[in-house]
Amino acid sequence: MAPEQSPPGVRIRGLTVVYRTPAGELPAVSGVDLDLAPGTITGVVGESGSGKSTLALSLLNAVQPPGRIAAGSVEIDGLGDVVALGGEGLRRARGRHVGYVFQAAQNSLNPLKTVGKQVLDLGRSHGVEDPRGLLADARDLLGRMGLDGARVLDSYQHELSGGMRQRVGIMLALVLNARLVVLDEPTTALDMITQATILRIVREVHAERGLTTLVITHDLGVVAEVADRLAVMYGGRLAEQGPTREVLAGPRHPYTRGLLGAIPRLVGDIGEARALPGRPPTLAGVPADGCVFRERCPLRMDVCETGRPPVVVSGSRSAACHAVRDDEGDRPAVAAATGEDQA
Amino acid sequence: MISGIGITKTFRQRGGVLGAREVPALRGVDFAIPKGGAVSFIGESGCGKTTLGRIIAGLETCDSGEIVIDDVAMSSLSHRRRQPYFRRVQLIHQDPYSALNPTRTIHQALAAPLALRAKQTGRPRSWTDERAGELLGLVGLDPGYVLPRYPHQLSGGMRQRVVIARALTVDPEVLVADEAVSMIDVSLRLGILALLKDLRERLGVSVLFITHDVATARYIGTDGELYVIYRGQVVERGPVETVISAPVHPYTQALLSAIPVLHGLESPGEQRVVPVEASGEHPDGCLFAPRCPFRTERCERERPALGRDGGTPQEHACFHPERRSVVALPVSRG
Amino acid sequence: MSATIVPEAETGAAAAVRRNFWRGVWRVMRRKPSRMVGAVILVVFALMGVLGPVLYPDPLPRDTSALYAPPSLRHPFGTDFEGTDVLALVVTGSRYVLLTALVTAAITVVVGAGVGLFAGFRRGRWDTVLMRFTDMKLTIPGLPLLLVLSTVWKFTGAVEMGLVLGLLGWGGVARAVRSQTLSLRERGFIEAARGLGLSTTHIVGRELLPGMAPYIAMNALIAVTGAVYAQVGLFFLGVLPFEANNWGVMLNLAVFGGGALTTTAALPYLLAPLLAILLLTLGIVLVVDAMDEIFNPRLREE
Repeated sequence: MAPEQSPPGVRIRGLTVVYRTPAGELPAVSGVDLDLAPGTITGVVGESGSGKSTLALSLLNAVQPPGRIAAGSVEIDGLGDVVALGGEGLRRARGRHVGYVFQAAQNSLNPLKTVGKQVLDLGRSHGVEDPRGLLADARDLLGRMGLDGARVLDSYQHELSGGMRQRVGIMLALVLNARLVVLDEPTTALDMITQATILRIVREVHAERGLTTLVITHDLGVVAEVADRLAVMYGGRLAEQGPTREVLAGPRHPYTRGLLGAIPRLVGDIGEARALPGRPPTLAGVPADGCVFRERCPLRMDVCETGRPPVVVSGSRSAACHAVRDDEGDRPAVAAATGEDQA
Repeated sequence: MISGIGITKTFRQRGGVLGAREVPALRGVDFAIPKGGAVSFIGESGCGKTTLGRIIAGLETCDSGEIVIDDVAMSSLSHRRRQPYFRRVQLIHQDPYSALNPTRTIHQALAAPLALRAKQTGRPRSWTDERAGELLGLVGLDPGYVLPRYPHQLSGGMRQRVVIARALTVDPEVLVADEAVSMIDVSLRLGILALLKDLRERLGVSVLFITHDVATARYIGTDGELYVIYRGQVVERGPVETVISAPVHPYTQALLSAIPVLHGLESPGEQRVVPVEASGEHPDGCLFAPRCPFRTERCERERPALGRDGGTPQEHACFHPERRSVVALPVSRG
Repeated sequence: MSATIVPEAETGAAAAVRRNFWRGVWRVMRRKPSRMVGAVILVVFALMGVLGPVLYPDPLPRDTSALYAPPSLRHPFGTDFEGTDVLALVVTGSRYVLLTALVTAAITVVVGAGVGLFAGFRRGRWDTVLMRFTDMKLTIPGLPLLLVLSTVWKFTGAVEMGLVLGLLGWGGVARAVRSQTLSLRERGFIEAARGLGLSTTHIVGRELLPGMAPYIAMNALIAVTGAVYAQVGLFFLGVLPFEANNWGVMLNLAVFGGGALTTTAALPYLLAPLLAILLLTLGIVLVVDAMDEIFNPRLREE
């Protein structure tokens, strides 16, 4: 199958995913608009309960009950609106068009089958006519990622290290020539050096194969290393997005600022870093009205209690916060944030 | 004061038909944790740092070597006599979800060790409730909220604080925190690190911090000491700020180079070290040599010992110590 | 149960936890109507076992003019070959059946959990010895052994019967509890408890046991049904002494004496004890479903 000319773009509009609980249907993702530009790496950062993994699953329309996509659309070039897809079409799309590297991919291989066998299974379920060619592709991909392809294909899961398994996960996502790849927490539970290696591989493979890549992570550092664009999620909503370097250099949303300030660094004054007060919201704890971040926000105002924060767009960046105003282009109300204290 | 001399441990992995395979986890490690001090063990998973922490907490024994607590050699004591010594070392587990019994409330979790403590020190039973509240306050929790709750009703950060409070019930001298923040939400990690630092300052308790993330080690205390461990051997050891700002062992440099750079805020170090991907080891050579980009023939023949060759301020185990700027530096902004 | 005497020295917090527990149990039971139905059935059987024999005169009156009488208002399930009311037989017979089942369940759980916990927690030599013994016991086929035993021992007392069934049945529980203990003891909180110097009694009783409570409770309930089947089966086979108001004996007489399988006259006589067994099993099955939620705080409190 000949690869398309350009990598696919993705347009997510008004995406809302709800989970059915004893307390009613609660939104895990609420009204998210996000574009993945063709050929870019986008990083979505969020803590537990931010809805980032649910967002990633929505890209495949793979949200499992008790969750369901309640509203919105996910347009993927060459596929159409994934939310409207179902059954066989959806199954084919997964793998062929969208490759998915699951969270803890290190542990998601079948322990009873060799990697090569699993590649063949994947090919069979997608009707690949040339299994030999598929294996050759898999071997090349593994080789590209610095592994001995032939040996890895003959190995069982337990014979591979964490970093090797992660690479096998990436290979399985790419071997059917998917051009849109979703990596959910690609480096958790990996050591620093292995993490650096995996991130380098993600960058290189992305460039060589002309992919559109989405990286989901809780670690701003991971995004900073690989992503062109950065989207910060909190309580099921997008807090801020924009080009990675610009957002890191001048975060506008108080949550992004707080998150950046909470990362331990190797140099500089230790006193400057501080944890955010409070705790991330749980599904049931997300306030129905107003800003989801207000409980932990140093810039909290009266309007945050009731009004959902407007999305303030300036250039290629946007932030959803009452305290950010359009006219304040690059320098928002940072001054007020320095007086941050525990709530 | 707790110290160790020549700690060695070998695990026997059950292999296939050929029988057991011996995997050295620790190869003659010396360490000292001064009273009220901060010591960090840094290394990748499988380097032996966790095993060492468990040996120090008395949860495992070493094959050879000696743990000395308050000038008493542990090997000279019977298993029973050893227990009171090791009780002064409390382990904070990596996973706050499995470290608390899901069927017991926080009150129950704290009351049991406190009741034991009350008995040992001849305090009345009523003291336990009072002390439980006091300890929770110390770790930054609201006793009224936390005490009647079950672990699943608390966030990861709160659980880890409860685990720390529980460890404090026996008035320990050393807290061994093994990857104590790796499973906690990013925005809350610093709070736990700050708490450990705070406990050092307020209670004079020493903290042994075990992690693969060098940056977090700084937050336990800049006055602390860093041990970089590779395959069961300490390869670099010295004051935290010295080792981070002027590392001389290529492995330490590789670890520091691997920390993600916040592009836009920081610029990467100019001499970042990327280790070679290789496995196996030279039987007599330097353990890191197969992966070391700077290895020489000597490294493959001889194994360097920990020392200060080359006049470095920190100890290292390398034949070719050299300072390299690997750490990302903040971009100066006008 | 009469073991709920609250020690006076108990602190307020502990009492509150206990109060919350029962409130939680009530919440769990109300979550599904089927559980309430099951609980009601079990309560009815319990009352039957306790009060049944008191309600009827002993010996039960015979109506010799109405042998194998069909169901009527006076005799809802008809009468037996002697003209005794079948319902009265079932009710008065329940005490023996239920008492046996209770004793069996108690022994199964206590011995099984005890052996399993001890072996799993101690590991090493004790574990090997106990588990060898358990395996040996598991390989002994139950029914033939019971048949042999019954030739030398007439199980006149329900407690004796329960004792024998219990001693034959704890093996499975012991194996399962042991494997659970082995996995739980590696958990962080057990290690922490040891590190804090808490006693083994505390660790086993307070830290390990509660986690296995749903499992043990389920096994206890299932042991009850097992014991009912086993003893009714024995009596049905006729290897045990005759006693008119025993469910198993009733089945035996209905089938072999009354010809319930070929004629309709003794059919109610056959169906009554069967229905009782069926209802009891149903009640247990419905209640077992709630055990996990009752003993798991997370599921209970939700």
